[in-house]
Amino acid sequence: MDTLVNVAHGFGVALLPINLLYCFIGVFIGTLVGVLPGIGPISAMSLLLPVTLSGTPESGIIMMAGIYYGSMYGGSTTSILVNIPGEAASVVTCIDGHQMAKQGRAGPALGIAAFGSFAAGTFALVALMLVAPKLASIAIAFGPAEYFSLMVLGLVVLTFLTQGSMPKALLMACIGVVLGLVGLDSITAQPRLTFGRMELIDGIGLVPVVMGLFGVAEVLLNTEQAIKRDIINTKITHLLPSREDWKASAGPVGRGTILGFFLGILPGGGAVVASFASYALEKRLSKTPERFGHGAIEGVAGPESANNAAAGGAFIPLMTLGIPPNVVMALLLGAFVIHGLQPGPLLITQNPGLFWGIVASMYIGNVMLLILNLPMIGMWVQLLKLPYNILFPLIILFTILGVYCSSNNVFDVYVMIAFGIIGYFMRKLGYEPAPLVLAFVLGPMMENNLRKSLILSQGDLWTFVQRPISGACLVLALVLLTAPLLPSLRKKRELVALDEGA
Amino acid sequence: MNDPTNVKLRLSNSELWGGLIGLALGGFVIWSGLKLKLGTINDPGSGYVLFYTGILMCVFAGAIIVSAVTEGGPTLASRWEDMRWSKPLLLIACLTAFSFALEPLGFLLSSIPLMLLLLRLIDPVRWTLAVPIAVLVPSGMWWVLKRLLLIQLPSGLFGIG
Repeated sequence: MDTLVNVAHGFGVALLPINLLYCFIGVFIGTLVGVLPGIGPISAMSLLLPVTLSGTPESGIIMMAGIYYGSMYGGSTTSILVNIPGEAASVVTCIDGHQMAKQGRAGPALGIAAFGSFAAGTFALVALMLVAPKLASIAIAFGPAEYFSLMVLGLVVLTFLTQGSMPKALLMACIGVVLGLVGLDSITAQPRLTFGRMELIDGIGLVPVVMGLFGVAEVLLNTEQAIKRDIINTKITHLLPSREDWKASAGPVGRGTILGFFLGILPGGGAVVASFASYALEKRLSKTPERFGHGAIEGVAGPESANNAAAGGAFIPLMTLGIPPNVVMALLLGAFVIHGLQPGPLLITQNPGLFWGIVASMYIGNVMLLILNLPMIGMWVQLLKLPYNILFPLIILFTILGVYCSSNNVFDVYVMIAFGIIGYFMRKLGYEPAPLVLAFVLGPMMENNLRKSLILSQGDLWTFVQRPISGACLVLALVLLTAPLLPSLRKKRELVALDEGA
Repeated sequence: MNDPTNVKLRLSNSELWGGLIGLALGGFVIWSGLKLKLGTINDPGSGYVLFYTGILMCVFAGAIIVSAVTEGGPTLASRWEDMRWSKPLLLIACLTAFSFALEPLGFLLSSIPLMLLLLRLIDPVRWTLAVPIAVLVPSGMWWVLKRLLLIQLPSGLFGIG
C-alpha cells in the first residue's frame, strides 16, 4: 500500500509540466545520441551535466536519466538500419537486426526492439520500486568498511569487464583515484597535488574530465577515419510484429528482461554485458541456433530487452547505496552532488518526492520513447544522414561552452582540452577511460571510508574481512583480480569485455 | 612468420611506453604521498591513500612492462596504420591554439576561427556553408548565453563579446 501511495506521489512530481518537458528533452536527446554513431550516452550526459544546474534537482536528474535509457532505444535503430551500433549496448543488435533489414524486415526488427525495450523498461521500473526501498533499509546498517569494500568490488568488476588487458584497466582505475584526491584533504584540509594552483584547491571538476575523455577524445578518434554509412533505403513498413514474430520473441524478451535487470544491479556490470549475455543465452536455448546471424528475431528481441532492463537495474545501487555501478551512473551521481544531494539509503526517506518522481518519470519516459521510436522512425532515419564534418565541430563548440558554463572558469576549458588529448592517446594505446572516470568519482569516497574504518577499528585491518558483507565483497574482488591468470577464465573475460564500460 | 608490427624489447613498442609512463606516474604519486605524510594505520594522514595507490600503480605498470617485453606489443606506428592521423593532429593543434587564444582574445574572436578551421580541416565543408556556420553558431550561442541566460563569456583584451 505504501508503495502505491509513494508511486502516486512520484507521478504527482513527474507530471508537473516542467518535469514532463525535461523528461521529453532527456529521452529525445537520448534517442538522438543513440541513433548517431560516435556519440554515446556518456558523451551526451557529460555535455548536458551543466544544464542540470539551471533547474530543480528533480528536473535535471529526470533529464539525465532520460538520456541514458533513451539512448538504449535509439541505439537499436542505427544497428538495424546502418549496421553501425549507435552505442556500445547495441553492438549485438547489428548481427541479426541488420540481416533482418536486408531481408526487407526492418519494420518488425525495429518494432520488436521498441516493444521489447518497453516491456523490459517497465519491468525494471516495477522491480526498482519494490527492491530499492527494501535494500535501502538494509543499507542503513552499512558501515564505512562495507562501503569501502563495495566500492573496491565495483571498480574491480568494471576493470574485469573492460576491454583489453586487466593491468591497464587497473592502472587507469588507480590514476582515477589519484585524480579524485586532488584538492583539499576532507579530513586534514591539507592541499594535495594542487601544484600551487588556486583552481585546483576544490579538486578537478567531473565535467571537464568526462567531457574531455568522452566528448573531445571521441571526436578526435572519429576524425581518424571517414565514417561510411550503408543506410537501408527501402521504406520501413510493418512496424507491428506479426503473430509469429511475437511468438518467437516472447521468451527472449522475458529472459532478456530478467537477466538484464540482475546484471544491471551488479557493480561494474551494465547494459553492454547484459545484451551480450542475452544473445549468448538465446543462441544456446534455440532449437535452430544456425539462424542466429542470419536475421533471427530472437537475436534482436533478447539483447534489446536486456540492455533496457539493465539500464533500469543500474539505478538500484546508486539510489540505495549511493554507489554508482557504472560510468553513466557516476555522471548521474555528479548531477546529484551538483545539487547538494547525496544518493544513498536515506534518500528515499528524506527526499521521497525526488526518488519517486524520478522513478515515475522513467515510466512516462518509456511511453514517450515508444512514441518517439515507432511512429517517428522516419525522422531518425533522416537524422542518420546528418554530415559528420558539421556535427563534430559543433560538438567541440558545445563541449567548450558546456564546461565554461558549469564553472565560469577558463581553467576548466584547459583541463577539458588536456583530458581530451590525453584520452585520445590513451585509447590509441588501448587504455579505456571508463575505469578512470568511475574511480575518479569513487576515489574520494573510498579514501574517506577507508580512513574512517581504520580510525574506528584502531588500525585493525581484519575489520574489512570480519564483517560479512565487506569480507564477501573483498573475496569476490580478489577472485576477479586473479581470474585472468587462468587461461579458461581469461577467454571468458575477453568474450564479455565491453567497449566503454557503459 | 614474424609480425613486423609486433615487437618485444624495442623503443618502438607502444606497450612498453605505456608501462613506463605508468611507472613514472606511480613513482611520482608515491613521492607525493610521502611528502604529504603517511600518518599511522590508526590515524592515516593525507598521503596515506596516495602512497599505497602509487605502489599499486607501479605494480600494474610493472605487469604491463613485463608483458610488453615477454609477449611483445604493437609498434607505435602500427597504432596509426591506415588511419588519417593528420586529422586528429590538426584538431589537437587547433584546440591548443584555441586554449592559448581564449583568454586574450575572448570567446567570439577565438571560437569563430576555431569553428572555421574545424569545418575546413576534418572533411572540408564548402566555404559557402562553412563561413556562415562558423560565424552564426558561436555568435548565436554567445547571444543566448549572454543576453538570455546572463552568463558572462570571456571578452578578452579587446572587450569583444
